[in-house]
Amino acid sequence: MWRIWLLFDPRRALVGLFGFLIVLALLIHFILLSTDRFNWIGGHAPSAAASHMSTLPEPAKP
Amino acid sequence: MADDKRGSLSGLTETEAKEFHGIFVTSFIIFTVIAIVAHFLVWQWRPWL
Repeated sequence: MWRIWLLFDPRRALVGLFGFLIVLALLIHFILLSTDRFNWIGGHAPSAAASHMSTLPEPAKP
Repeated sequence: MADDKRGSLSGLTETEAKEFHGIFVTSFIIFTVIAIVAHFLVWQWRPWL
């Protein structure tokens, strides 16, 4: 497996890998920040699985 | 070995490739462990499935 570094220049490979990981991480974090459930700064209440179970009736309260 | 120094496309020798590979694998394992811990904590916070 180490022979891969005989084919690919480690410097270019690292720059490409880090660039890809940074872009991917920023994308995922901003997507999560844009949601209500997974926004960790000033998000709304958890609203547990509201998108999945919105059609279920609420249990009757006494 | 003539191939040892001039044969590779990247310009690395076999020794250099093995050395870099060791560092790369170690770093990858550390990154993966951190990512697993982070995902575990987020799942504890709010599971997504």
